[in-house]
Order: sequence, then C-alpha cells, then structure tokens
Amino acid sequence: MTAPAPNSSAAPLLDVSGIAISFGGLKAVQNFSLQLPRGSLQGLIGPNGAGKTTVFNLLTGVYQPQAGSITLDGQALRGLKPHQIAAAGLSRTFQNIRLFGDLSVLDNVRVACHLRGSHSLAGTLLRTPRYVGQERAMTERARELLALFSLADRQDEHACNLPYGDQRRLEIVRAIATEPKILLLDEPAAGMNPQEKKALADLIRTIRDRFGLTILLIEHDMGLVMEICERITVLDYGIIIKNGTPREVQTCPDVIAAYLGGASEMKGTETRR
Amino acid sequence: MGGFATVLLVIGINIVLAVSLTVVNGFTGQFSMGHGGFMAVGGYVAAMIVYYGSLRLWGSANFAGGFLSSASGDGAWLAGGDVLFVVACLAAGLAAAGAGYLVGLPSLRLKGDYLAIVTLGFGEIVRVVLQGTAPQIARSKADVVRETPVWKLATHLGGAQGFNLLPTYATLFWIYFAAVLTLIVVYRLKMSSSGRAFLSIREDEIASQAMGVNVTKYKVRAFVLSSFFAGVAGGLYAMYLGAINATDLGFQRSFEVIIMVVLGGMGSISGATLAAILLSILPEVLRAPPPVWPAGLALLVVMVIIQKVGISFGLTRGPADGIVLNIAISMRSLRRSWKFKPLVIVAGVTMALETARLVCLQQQIDIAQYRMVLYALMLIIMMIVRPEGLFGVREFWDYLPRRRAHSPSGPVAEASA
Ligand SMILES: Nc1ncnc2c1ncn2[C@@H]1O[C@H](COP(=O)(O)OP(=O)(O)OP(=O)(O)O)[C@@H](O)[C@H]1O
Ligand SMILES: [Mg+2]
Repeated sequence: MTAPAPNSSAAPLLDVSGIAISFGGLKAVQNFSLQLPRGSLQGLIGPNGAGKTTVFNLLTGVYQPQAGSITLDGQALRGLKPHQIAAAGLSRTFQNIRLFGDLSVLDNVRVACHLRGSHSLAGTLLRTPRYVGQERAMTERARELLALFSLADRQDEHACNLPYGDQRRLEIVRAIATEPKILLLDEPAAGMNPQEKKALADLIRTIRDRFGLTILLIEHDMGLVMEICERITVLDYGIIIKNGTPREVQTCPDVIAAYLGGASEMKGTETRR
Repeated sequence: MGGFATVLLVIGINIVLAVSLTVVNGFTGQFSMGHGGFMAVGGYVAAMIVYYGSLRLWGSANFAGGFLSSASGDGAWLAGGDVLFVVACLAAGLAAAGAGYLVGLPSLRLKGDYLAIVTLGFGEIVRVVLQGTAPQIARSKADVVRETPVWKLATHLGGAQGFNLLPTYATLFWIYFAAVLTLIVVYRLKMSSSGRAFLSIREDEIASQAMGVNVTKYKVRAFVLSSFFAGVAGGLYAMYLGAINATDLGFQRSFEVIIMVVLGGMGSISGATLAAILLSILPEVLRAPPPVWPAGLALLVVMVIIQKVGISFGLTRGPADGIVLNIAISMRSLRRSWKFKPLVIVAGVTMALETARLVCLQQQIDIAQYRMVLYALMLIIMMIVRPEGLFGVREFWDYLPRRRAHSPSGPVAEASA
C-alpha cells in the first residue's frame, strides 16, 4: 500500500465508484467511476452540458451523490459537508469564478490558509504570541504562493479588480492554499489568450510536481488537455464514453461522434462560444 | 445631567449596538433584525440582577456605587454597587448570547432570509413575553424580595409598566469602557483569520465552504458574539435611564441599529461608529433644527471656487494602489465652462431643507416625531447613491494616503506587527 507503483495495483488516491445524480428527470451524471493514482494528471472532457462540473460538485459535496461511493486515501467522503471534504484534502476552482471579490488578493488566499490553522476566540482577541505567530506564518505562506503565480505585486488589490486571467490563476492559488491532496480545476484556461494558456500549462505541471498534487482537469481547450494530461475521461450526457490516453481518446469514434454531435471541434485549439 | 452628556451616553450605547451588529450583518452578510430583542433580554437580566440583587444584599435599591459610577463624583473609586453592576452587564451579555445561540443555531442552518424572519419574530416574542410579566416588587419590600426564590423574582419584571427605579450606574466611564472594548474586540476579530472567514461567507458562501470554512459554525459564532454585546448594551441602557421598557426595544429599535450598519457600510467598523454618532445626534438636531442655509451657501461658494479658480480636488490612484487625495491647481479647469448641475442640486436641497424647517417651525410640527420616515428616506437615498454604504467594507483610514510607498497592505502589517 505504501509503494506507489503508477498504473498498477497500488490503491488509487481517489477512488470514485458509481456516483450519480439527477435533477428532476435529468440524469446529469450516471454511474461515474474514476481512479486517480497518486501524482497523476487526468483530464475530464465532454461537450457543453455533459455533466463535468456536476461531477466536481458531487466530489466536493456541493451536491450529495444519490448513489455510489467516493474514497480519498482510504477516507469515505460521501455524505460529508463541503468544508469537511476540503479538510480531507480535496480542493477545487470554479468554472464561473467565485473569488471573494471585495477582499484583497492576499486575503483571498489567507481565507484558504485558515483551514490548516487553529483559531481560538481567546487567542484572537488577546493576540497571544501563538496566534500572532500563526497569523504571520499564514501571511508568509500566502505571499509565497502568490509570488509563485506572479501575483505578488497585486496582493492588495480587490480580487474583483484583477484582469480575467489573473482571477483564474488566483482561484488556483486559493485552492492550493488549502493544502489539498487532489486539485480539481474547472476550465482554468477559459478566457485566456494563447500565451496565457501556454504559461498555464507549464504552471499546472510545475505545481503538480512541486506540491506533489494529483490533478483532475476539466478543460475545453483540446490542445492544452492533450498536451498535459496523462489520461483523459470523456463524458457525454452524464455517461463516461471513453477513458484512455490522449491518443486513444483522440482516435475513438464515439468521442469524435459526441463532439461532432455537439457541433464542436475536437482537434486543435478550440474556441468556445 | 445636561443634554450634551445625555447625547454622549446615547452615542456610546449606540456604538456598542451598531458595531456588534456589524459582525452579523456586515461581516457574515446575514440579516438579523433582532438586535432590539437581544438588547431587551440583556437589559432585563441586568435590571433584575441590579435591582433585586441590591435589595437582597443591602436591603435597599439605592445607588451604592463609587466614583466611577456617580455623576456627582465622590466616594471611593469602586464600591459594591459597581461590582454588582459590572456582573449584571456581563450576565446580560451572556444571557443575550445564550438567546442568540438558541435562535441562531436552527435558523443559520437554513439558507437565505430565514434569519431575518426568525429574528424579527424573536424580537416580538421577547417584547410580548416581557410585557406580560408580573409587577415589579416595590423597593420598600426588601424582606419580600429576600424570601422570594430567584426563579420567581425573574417573573416580576414590571410587565407593561416596565422595570423602573433602577439605580443609575451607567456613567460615561462605563459606557465608553464598553464601547472601546467592543471596538477592540470587533476590530481584532475583523483583522484576524476568523474575521476573514466571516467576510468570505458574505462574499461567497459556496466558495467559502469549498475553502474549508465551516460556514454554519462561523455564522453561529458571529451571531452569538453580536448578541453578547447587544445584551451588554441593554444592561448599560437600563442602568443609564434608570428604567427599561420592552416597548422601546421592539422592531423600531432593531431597525435603527440596522440603519447605522447599512449607512456606515456593511462591514466597516469605523463606518458603523460614525453612523452611530450621526444618528444619535440627529434626533437632537431635529428637536430644534438649526438654519441650513449658511452651510448650503458655504458649500456653494466652495464649489464656485473650485470651478472658477481651478482648484481641483480628486481621488486618484497612488503608487501602491492606495487612493490619494490630490489637490492641484489645474489650468485646464480654468477654461472649462460652468457645471451647473451640482450647483443647482446643492442650492435646491438647501432651499428645500430650509423651507421644510420654516414650515415646521411655523406650524409647530415636531420633526423629531417623523424620525423613522427620515431614516427610511436616508436608506433609500443611500441605496441609490452609494449602495455599499459610507465606507463599504473598508475602514476610513483605508481611504487616506499611504504613508509608505511600498508598504505591505494595511491589515497585513496590522496582523503581523
Ligand atoms: N443544480 C442543477 N439543477 C438542475 N440542473 C442542473 C443543475 N446543475 C447542473 N444541471 C444540469 O446538468 C447538466 C450538466 O451540467 P454541467 O454544468 O455539469 O455541464 P458541464 O459539462 O460542466 O458543461 P460546460 O462545459 O458548459 O461547463 C446540464 O444539463 C445542466 O443544465
Ligand atoms: Mg462546467
């Protein structure tokens, strides 16, 4: 169990088995299973409305799965509250950016650092040395993370005043600040220009290596996905239609049909909307 | 006690109320309408402890305080009465906090505006229950008080007549002691990790949860803390008036505090404080409204000078993204033509206010009675002109020029200092 042998019998870090949810009559996600080995970088793609974001919402406890199980490093996550799941080590970004707009960039990150500290009311009000030390360490860590994403010089700005690309990156910084084992990225490249996308691809690889993260990535930009993901799961109408390497996925007739049906292009840098 | 001192006392109590409500309505973005109710709980608990406590301990409910609590300023610094009073105020806070916990725990789990409705209902229930209590036991009957068990005393709260003839311990000293304490506590909270958790809930509850903030726990915490200070304020209020009546602490009272928080800026401590000061003075001003036209005229002259002489005041972005007040004599504005609109607005508002004042004087209308209408109007205008309140989430010093060009952000320096 301790020897992590990639692509083999070693227990996966995240083991999702058969989760499902329907909204009224709409079966948004059905029988979704996924195994993420430690340190892997997996893609989750599919046409608009396929249920990708819903999978993230199920994993992070925003929606409760109506069936199936989710296990992270041996811990059952199904039924836990979102904050408990975050504490267990699953963190995410949001497709429709959800930063704390009126808080400063630094404070956005510091909110996420909050999870790994202990906060007594007495300590806070009396400003005990322990509290002050923890607060300082938290600020220090937040600054380091921001520097890593070259957001350090914007730390005092309100998050809502950042340019779009910076907001997306801040979402990632914030998610990493919770010290997760698994990072779920929901369309991190949406709205970015080609240079920014290129930089983002490098960044995602860097953070995976540097923080020892396991990453699940939703992305519409096929160039990006094919470039950085080791394996890709394809979702269509809430059902997994393919799970394989980028090459396998690209040549799979079902996948091509799903994308053509959705009137989107499969190859190259795709332009959405 | 002079009118001025009374206003100061009212200001102090209102600061405690407004700043504490900021924690709930401003920081966590919940909408509590029960501050008056928590104040009543605290006020009656304190009144009961001080009144019946004095009768039990000393056989008389007369003033038994020292220098700090006495308006005349003699005696020892502290006396038995003061201790009883301080204990009563703490108990008032704890009782209100307990009530806050009971009200908050079920309703804060729910989403949306349930809290507003529940707290509104809570305030009304408190009022009705208090008004239905048995008459107060008279001051002369100390032996009756001694023989009555405590739980039974708690039902003798004066009913519709209110709880009267309390010794008045709440002097400027105690009230401002409480106000400063409230300010320190709430400020330290806002600048702390827990405070940021509160604010994140207001900004985006879903994201806040996803970042590991236990939203329910923090909402309840904020609510309990806020209720605590409302209870203390109730105790101070009872012991400054020498009486307390639940009728005065109904919805209208809660609404007044809400207006202070909204005007000040949801989440701004200095804003709530400033609004508390202004709205406490307002009724006094309305009682005998001073002429408006000198201020209006002065403002007009200043505006003309700015336009014609070409001195421009403006807020610009400073080097470290701070906002800097920039005063410059600009040649370009010399050539600019008149901007009549602001001048006309100022002149118009001045004339309208002046006319209203004169009409009220002539017809002997007491505008102070229409306070609530005025508050409502202020709220409406505020929502249109500056919905985020005077200072928004920020504190007023965030708007001042930065001292150091590349300082770490204010709150950070604060926290790590
Ligand atoms: N809370 C909800 N209530 C009802 N229907 C929902 C809800 N959330 C998602 N859906 C539906 O579930 C389906 C999947 O939505 P989802 O957002 O997961 O798609 P997606 O794959 O992320 O698409 P996109 O690429 O556009 O982001 C859609 O048809 C959507 O309308
Ligand atoms: Mg989506």
